[in-house]
Amino acid sequence: MAGYWIGIDTGGTFTDLVLAEPSAGRWEYHKVPTRTADPAAGIHDGIRELLALSGVAAADVAFLVLGTTLATNAVLEGKWAKTGLLTTAGFRDVIELARQRRPDYFNLDKVKPVPPASRDCRLEVAERVDVEGRVVVPLDESTVHAAVAALKAAGVQSVAICFLHSYQNPAHEARAREIVEAAWPGAAVCASYEVLAEFREFERCASTLVNASLMPIMASYLDRFEAGVRELGVPRTPRVMQSNGGAVTPAAVKRLPINTFFSGPAGGVIGSARLGSRIGLPNLITFDMGGTSTDVCLIKDGEPAKKSQREMGGYPVRTRTLDIHTIGAGGGSIAWIDAGGLLKVGPRSAGAYPGPAAYGRGGTEPTVTDANVVLGRLSPESLLGGRMKMHPDKAREAVEALARKLGVDPVQAAAGVVEIVNVNMMGAVRVISIEQGEDPRDFALVAFGGAGPLHAVEVAMAMGMRHVLVPARPGLLSAEGLLQADQRGDFSLTRLVVLAPAQLPAIDAGFAELRRRGEAWLAEERADAGASVSEWSADLRYVGQSFELVLPLSGGSLDEASVAALVEAFHQRHREYYGYDIRDQAVELVNLRLALTVPRPRPSFSKVAAAPVGKPGSREVWFPAGGYVRSPVYDRSQLVPGMAFDGPAIVEQMDATTVVPPSARCRIDDAGNLHILLGEAQS
Amino acid sequence: MSNQRKADAAGNATAQAPDPIRAEVMARYLLAAAEEMGATLMRTSFSPNIKERADCSTAIFDAQGQVIALAQRVPIHLGSMVGAVDEILSRYGRENILPGDMFMANDPYNGGGSHLPDINVISPVFIGGEIVAFVANIAHHADVGGMVPGSEAAVCNSIFQEGLRLPPVRIMRGGEINRDVLDIVLLNSRTPDERLGDLRAQFAANLVGTRAVETLIARYGPEETARTIAGYLDFTERRFAAAIARLPAGTYHAEDCLDGNAEGERALIRLAMTIEGGRLHFDFAGSAKQLASARNIPERALLATIYTVAKSLLDPDVPANAGYYRTITTAAPKGSVVGPQSPAAVGCRSISCGVLGDVVAKALSQALPVRALAPSGPHHLMVLAGSDPRTGTYFVNYETVAGGMGARSNRDGMDAVRVHASGASNLPVEALEHAFPFRVDRYALWEGSGGEGEYRGGMGVIRDYRVLGDDIVVSLSSERQHVEADGMKGGLPGSRGRFVFNPGRADERVLPSAAADVRLPRDSVLRVCTPGGGGFGDPAARAPAARERDQREDRLPKGVAP
Repeated sequence: MAGYWIGIDTGGTFTDLVLAEPSAGRWEYHKVPTRTADPAAGIHDGIRELLALSGVAAADVAFLVLGTTLATNAVLEGKWAKTGLLTTAGFRDVIELARQRRPDYFNLDKVKPVPPASRDCRLEVAERVDVEGRVVVPLDESTVHAAVAALKAAGVQSVAICFLHSYQNPAHEARAREIVEAAWPGAAVCASYEVLAEFREFERCASTLVNASLMPIMASYLDRFEAGVRELGVPRTPRVMQSNGGAVTPAAVKRLPINTFFSGPAGGVIGSARLGSRIGLPNLITFDMGGTSTDVCLIKDGEPAKKSQREMGGYPVRTRTLDIHTIGAGGGSIAWIDAGGLLKVGPRSAGAYPGPAAYGRGGTEPTVTDANVVLGRLSPESLLGGRMKMHPDKAREAVEALARKLGVDPVQAAAGVVEIVNVNMMGAVRVISIEQGEDPRDFALVAFGGAGPLHAVEVAMAMGMRHVLVPARPGLLSAEGLLQADQRGDFSLTRLVVLAPAQLPAIDAGFAELRRRGEAWLAEERADAGASVSEWSADLRYVGQSFELVLPLSGGSLDEASVAALVEAFHQRHREYYGYDIRDQAVELVNLRLALTVPRPRPSFSKVAAAPVGKPGSREVWFPAGGYVRSPVYDRSQLVPGMAFDGPAIVEQMDATTVVPPSARCRIDDAGNLHILLGEAQS
Repeated sequence: MSNQRKADAAGNATAQAPDPIRAEVMARYLLAAAEEMGATLMRTSFSPNIKERADCSTAIFDAQGQVIALAQRVPIHLGSMVGAVDEILSRYGRENILPGDMFMANDPYNGGGSHLPDINVISPVFIGGEIVAFVANIAHHADVGGMVPGSEAAVCNSIFQEGLRLPPVRIMRGGEINRDVLDIVLLNSRTPDERLGDLRAQFAANLVGTRAVETLIARYGPEETARTIAGYLDFTERRFAAAIARLPAGTYHAEDCLDGNAEGERALIRLAMTIEGGRLHFDFAGSAKQLASARNIPERALLATIYTVAKSLLDPDVPANAGYYRTITTAAPKGSVVGPQSPAAVGCRSISCGVLGDVVAKALSQALPVRALAPSGPHHLMVLAGSDPRTGTYFVNYETVAGGMGARSNRDGMDAVRVHASGASNLPVEALEHAFPFRVDRYALWEGSGGEGEYRGGMGVIRDYRVLGDDIVVSLSSERQHVEADGMKGGLPGSRGRFVFNPGRADERVLPSAAADVRLPRDSVLRVCTPGGGGFGDPAARAPAARERDQREDRLPKGVAP
């Protein structure tokens, strides 16, 4: 694909834009404030400015991809559309009954979420399908007509349809959907079998309702985005990043907006995976630490880990996503002391305003950033390449106040804040590695985001990891990553049968249905079916269990021999994960899955300058082993391929600061990435 | 050993004050380890009650047996494991416990849980030949024998009717399963295959926990770990004591009644709660004598309920460990409904604890009116059993259906939630119909069941089961079918629960609030209506917007019972 490529990463505060000229290996960057009131317009301004800065004509843009947090923000702020729901008679309250647990066992102020469809907009229709998919009560179409009329009158903007056991037999849902569309042309409508053809009614209903409630919002945003991009003169249809790490057309996202909850952080994960593959590090854990939150994800053999369920706005949303684990701790997290006298960090954040005390904007509470300033890890002078002045005296005052309450000296308090935030980070890394049966010591940690490189090395050390990778531009890896994404569609279908040759016809019908859905998706994406790669897998468990293990299949079919092999593979996997297997227990198939990937050519990564400029400075930096040490402070532009040095050292650049502790060795590779090797100092 | 003496023993390791930062680091690590144990248990278990409904908990204890980390699953297990380690140590002696041992117990009068279906599995963790910690998990098994399927029915009048009683016994020795004991357990259950699968999941969870604790101790050393953990418990104690100290000192009185097995019978729970010097003391003098039914509340269930309600109302984020338990003392008369003596039956203690929780909340609400909580509708229990015509296999389906929470002084009570110390999930309709021969005709909020008030009590639930088998029986247990959840400060009471056979048909009848082995013919329908929560404040003071919403959403009484 010739021409210019543009990646747009919309964050909460800033939108990062990158322009790549793959044939020349050229990269341009731009950063604009995110306009929360009119996000599409902000993006158009950003593209226009980026093109002007780069001297590129819009007509020469061959590929443009957007990472968006629109769906996430709409859910977190409860700004979804007024939605109607059609359900099986007797079941309109499933969404409120949920799983009958309190959202928090002890905190009674945490109440159940208010559903996007209020009770009066959840209407029942006469129909019932049983657990085998047989019709027990035929669909009474007159009840559907009546319900649609009532919902229209109630002023809903979107309609969701969720009937019992539709994953087994979607005919009633499909027919109801036709009736809604015929009676209400242009209405936003979705049925649960299209959103999530899996069993468990509450989870399926929640996913469907959340999806429906986002459809009108996403449609209006993407319509404006596409129109604006066309007006700028970009000739190609743009793409939108999904949570699964693949980009698709806006049309696909308008139908399934729940697929974009991790659209934003997915760019960084894909960027890391591609970077790792290129430099021979296929096993990575990503560590993307910003001001208020931190995202981590595990990448094995070049493939990011995936997950099928996330909680959004208090609802379980089942959709294929990268297994990105987010915790509410970052550079702006505030340190405090609880009633028992224990030091705590976060989840409250000082945000961008007033921000940490060190920013001098009126913040007085001690934050992680302030602790880093006191310890000499962050520059006491300025950040953002000199654009933001720091106030170390204010950071110190804030930390001293904390220290007095704890009865320790300020350095101990600051070190404690850093240690506790690092423990929170370890917890996040633990969730995606150890709890998934992976040993973090087999992985390198990739540090990016504004605060990632500041904390990564200590987190790695505490987890026993030996290798930390800091990309050339840690603050822009997410935007770069958007340009590295393939097109990807994920499809699944519940097929609850014992895994045995007698069930092959039912299983084959499931494969055929998934194949049909995949082909429809390829047609919509205007992708070349010949170039697509299919990955099939199956969720399996012992008959009687409720949680499944995912096993890969060699293709979209099974026969007697491959069924036997699959059963054997399941026993082995169960033993690996849980330490035992049950040879005489039957194995059950739960879901069939298909992932379709249409690969795209990859741009090369940005190049770095070849000659060092100037000499490093130095300052006192505190380390857990030995306290304050005079440490060299490098400007990133002084580090050129082939260089290596031992810690202690600090590396500063416009978008991040990296801490290299004593006993670590830092080496710069050909592409300008820093490799910090723990316990390998030469001196 | 008393909690305080144990705290002293742990603290004596070194007199130096522990590091508050390291304490937080270790506590977070141990909690993550307990969570990981819980995830393993749920992912590998077999009975819907554990795998779908999460009726299980996992914990880590220090070498003295104090709870130091507890994963949140079901709060009633907060207290269920208290004292379990003591019992093992006193029966076996520390010196006779060896690496690779694992113990199992379920008897509430002998170091087990709080009723027989809850089987505790406990493992010592060794470093250098010394016990440095214990890891444990508790899981509710769907059947451990006894006179009714599910081993739990209000009509049982002695614990000997409730199933196999296990004092702490070695289920594993040198890392190998003790087949002798296992076979006894399996033979005594109506569903042995499921039991075996669930026990294996419990063993796997402890192995995960043991590895995690060993890693932590390898990093800091046993002495430093013990010292820091002792300090962490002290921090927790001080934190909760500070929350208590903010309440006005004094003695507060509250009472409520459990249902009896026959209409008109009831059993009083009477409480005098004293707040003094950062301590809470709960005295139940004057409560009714223990019952010849399974509604009695054994010591650990009593503690768990008090721990839960006190934490909810005073400091919801206090870490769930033995540190805050030390601020709470209790006195329950021996032989009373809250201090039953063997062989009193205790199977349904979880439902009774719903009412007990209301008594505790009533007392605390007087001391802390801004967080007041009106009485709630506890869950109802149905144990459905028989053979599945699709497979010919015998099944026991243990299910609970939630009621509504009482209103608070500042907001409506939550609809359809498990209350106080109870917390297991529902069984999804689609999972139920896959596993057992029933079709659910209706699963809905019960309109008008929440007590009216300025703030409305939470609504109960209606669930209709249509029977698709030929030999199906059900055992029914409940509370608040005779004694409703009161309103508070002028709020109205919530609706009483009920069980109905074949609603809307010629042979419709209301079933007893407690019954065993009720036959349900093919195609009959069992309706469960669970009680609503009490309202708070004068209904006339309800905000117009809230009133309008209640109307529009059909949440108010229509004058017609279902």
